[in-house]
Amino acid sequence: MRRRRLYGLAAVGAAAALTLAACSSSGSSSSSGGNGSGAGSAPAFNAGVTSVVNPSTHKGGTLTFDWRAAPDSFDPGNTYYAAVWNFARFYSTALMTFKNCPGACGKTLVPALATAPGVASDNGLTWTYHIKPGVKYQDGTAVTTKDVKYAIERTFDRGVLSNGPNYFTNLLGGNAKTYPGPYKDRAKNLMGLTAIDTPDATTIVFHLKAPFSDMDYLMTIPQSAPVPPDKDTGASYQTHIVSTGPYKFQSYALNKTAVLVPNTQWNASMFPTVSQLPSKIVVNMNMNPNDVDNRLLAGDAQVDFAGTGVQAAARAKILANPTLKAQSDDPITGFGWFFYIDSQVAPFTNLACRQAIQYAANHLTLQNAYGGPVAGGAIASTVMPPTVAGYEKFDLYGATTKTQGDPAKAKQLLQTCGQPNGFSTGIAYRSDRPTETQGAQALQQALSAVGIKLTLHGYPSATYFTNFAGVPKYMSSHNIGIAFGGWGADWPDGYGFLSQLVSGPSIVPAGNTNIGMLNDPVVNDLFTKAQGITDATQRNAIWGQIDRQVMKDSVIVPIVYAKALIYRPPSLTNVYFNQAYQLNNYAVQGVTGG
Amino acid sequence: MAVPIDVATGPGGPEPTPAPAVAGKAIEGRSLGQIAWMRLRQDKVAMAGGIVVIFLILVAIFGPYLVQNPLTYHENLIDPTFSRPYGTLGGISAAHPFGVEPITGRDLLARVVNGARVSLIIAFLSTALAVGIGVVMGVIAGFFGGWADSVIARAMDIFLAFPLLVFAIALVGVIPSSAFGLSGNSLRIGLLIFVIGFFAWPYMGRIIRGQTLSLREREFVDAARSLGARGPYILFRELLPNLVGPILVYSTLLIPTNILFEAALSYLGVGIIPPTPSWGGMISDAVNNGIYSVDPMYMIIPGLAIFITVMAFNLFGDGLRDALDPKSSR
Repeated sequence: MRRRRLYGLAAVGAAAALTLAACSSSGSSSSSGGNGSGAGSAPAFNAGVTSVVNPSTHKGGTLTFDWRAAPDSFDPGNTYYAAVWNFARFYSTALMTFKNCPGACGKTLVPALATAPGVASDNGLTWTYHIKPGVKYQDGTAVTTKDVKYAIERTFDRGVLSNGPNYFTNLLGGNAKTYPGPYKDRAKNLMGLTAIDTPDATTIVFHLKAPFSDMDYLMTIPQSAPVPPDKDTGASYQTHIVSTGPYKFQSYALNKTAVLVPNTQWNASMFPTVSQLPSKIVVNMNMNPNDVDNRLLAGDAQVDFAGTGVQAAARAKILANPTLKAQSDDPITGFGWFFYIDSQVAPFTNLACRQAIQYAANHLTLQNAYGGPVAGGAIASTVMPPTVAGYEKFDLYGATTKTQGDPAKAKQLLQTCGQPNGFSTGIAYRSDRPTETQGAQALQQALSAVGIKLTLHGYPSATYFTNFAGVPKYMSSHNIGIAFGGWGADWPDGYGFLSQLVSGPSIVPAGNTNIGMLNDPVVNDLFTKAQGITDATQRNAIWGQIDRQVMKDSVIVPIVYAKALIYRPPSLTNVYFNQAYQLNNYAVQGVTGG
Repeated sequence: MAVPIDVATGPGGPEPTPAPAVAGKAIEGRSLGQIAWMRLRQDKVAMAGGIVVIFLILVAIFGPYLVQNPLTYHENLIDPTFSRPYGTLGGISAAHPFGVEPITGRDLLARVVNGARVSLIIAFLSTALAVGIGVVMGVIAGFFGGWADSVIARAMDIFLAFPLLVFAIALVGVIPSSAFGLSGNSLRIGLLIFVIGFFAWPYMGRIIRGQTLSLREREFVDAARSLGARGPYILFRELLPNLVGPILVYSTLLIPTNILFEAALSYLGVGIIPPTPSWGGMISDAVNNGIYSVDPMYMIIPGLAIFITVMAFNLFGDGLRDALDPKSSR
């Protein structure tokens, strides 16, 4: 889960080369963007957070994406990048998707390939979907539910398709735990996955081993997009994906350039959530981050694929120029940065000692470490960011009112926990991430004011969870009581955000993401209770309760609700931020001209 | 190190060359050291370099007690939106003559001065290690020759061919946070001194070996030998005093190389652990955050510190070589 957005964020600092803003004043080069209906909101700072900027139905032109990185895979069944999940809707159609509207509305679940949301029966153990009849692949052959089942089956072979999430393995009943995937199964007994039935060409039935009320969210992940079995070649399928969306691949030079053109077999009236406006889509990969910004500002490209915001140089340029500022958005992305307090490492076994940290932390210097209020994020007081369904606003420790901390209160709590003169502990962070390196120093400095001495332990990102911070034994044997982390949910509700962070059963000996080691029966019971509730409103209320309980237990100290300064070139139409993908909604965008 | 005249007060090697008579003054014998010191004094550039070197050493020793705490945050001096200091040129003001660090607002003068201490400690100790090993190995190879020479010469070839940077990065990566009774930065500094010093000795070793080879065939050595002097006497009384010049010169030239290497390692993230300041680490911060593009002073100031230090050592080293060995080509 956590991997989803990390790539883009990790790359922010990695490749800042010495291109010292060589581009000329770019405001003048922008063409007037009034080609379409023009009835939408006037371009203003943050307009794209709550409304559709530059709405248009104009067809034609080339939509260019620039990306500082490259995908794990474009294969809808083999990717865990938020940006690819968003982009994949151009060429794949999952059972469910999100409504194409700005603001909180964008988290609304709507059917894509399915005709309606799933119907639960048998106490939530069975979920049934029907797909739209008459949907075709780019070659004209009809899509059946057998292809959907096959698409899910192929994700079971982690040796071949290793990148996607593995919810299906854990949730489905039948032979899901032992099923090796079609590549091996084909040769053996052709049994297939027994937990999925396809009684006819338009019906698919999922049998779960325990009730799971977030099934519709799970179906928005492109893993449920149909794949024709006779065209599947495993990991290399990404080079000749058979499209069911508005675009199809014309060419793909691996990790360099992809070109997509309109898919003539696609039926616009069936799929109102995506559109077919540009006559060509180009994705340029592995580019220098500052080059990406300069190309966006010069109008050579329209979208930063990673969507995690511009670099420091472009940030200064955009915010200092009112014209450019009006062409940018600074949304709360839905990603949260925080640090864990390991409740199994002394003296953090004592609640008061953990709560002392909440007061001792200087939220302002931590926010600066993550890039400040625009590029970094808003000071956080809850684990869940405001864009997640179930978010409830509260501030137990005054993080947003006393932003520079409350050392007096912290000292008082240290007295209570029997450490009046402070103590020594370690802090784990990813040393290849400038934000966490800065954050660790800021926290070290803030805690030294109340006598708590922090020793810095920097680790490489690649093995951070598998060998260090995610190994409870390592943490306790090295007296490391604090660890930095961040989280973005796979789907925008409390389950997606919280379950791996704070539920007791999620604690594992390696690769642990519940680094606070919270095993609070109150929290665990609330999770169980929520999975039995099918009504979304009632369920969402529980996520807020869990968040509050976690903050009371003080195993997580939130730092910021991440924000990203996203530039929208004037030539880009239908621009708005989508809270579900935590990025601008790619699949409805068009360009002026052409 | 800065006073080469000490060299000459030691036991003289070969017969001192008679100094050219200066008109109007009594003819007096001068030692090699005196002559070298005279030549050095006339070399203005080298003297300037030497003065800067002495100043830097004084800064490294006493500076940290005179400046502010390099760890204190001044978040009120930072414009959080742009992550850069308020004011011009990186927030230069009377209170912060070098400005403040972006993001944190820590005093830059304090960090540069404290960084000087770290950089010079590592540079001097690693040079001492390299010179120590290099001289012993070079003298053994040059003086005894034969199989000892073959073994040491091959060893030096291997060390010179070693991908040092890769090795250093790997080594720092695998060493745990505490080892050999050290932990944190003292371990890291020790490790850097070892890595830099241990791999720089062949440069010194080769020079010393060559010098020893040529010296041991010289007449004064033959003379000593014919008078019955044995190995240790020749080594310590005849050869080593004549090696002091090259050792001094190449030590002075090795120091700046080691400063740069330490900065490079810090830049690559395997140097000093934050928040302890180091010059390479500061430049690394500036680049990794992309901060150099909004606050160039943050990169320029530690960059200048490295530049001035390396240049001063190099100019002084060059001047010293000219003074001690005027026959060597420039």
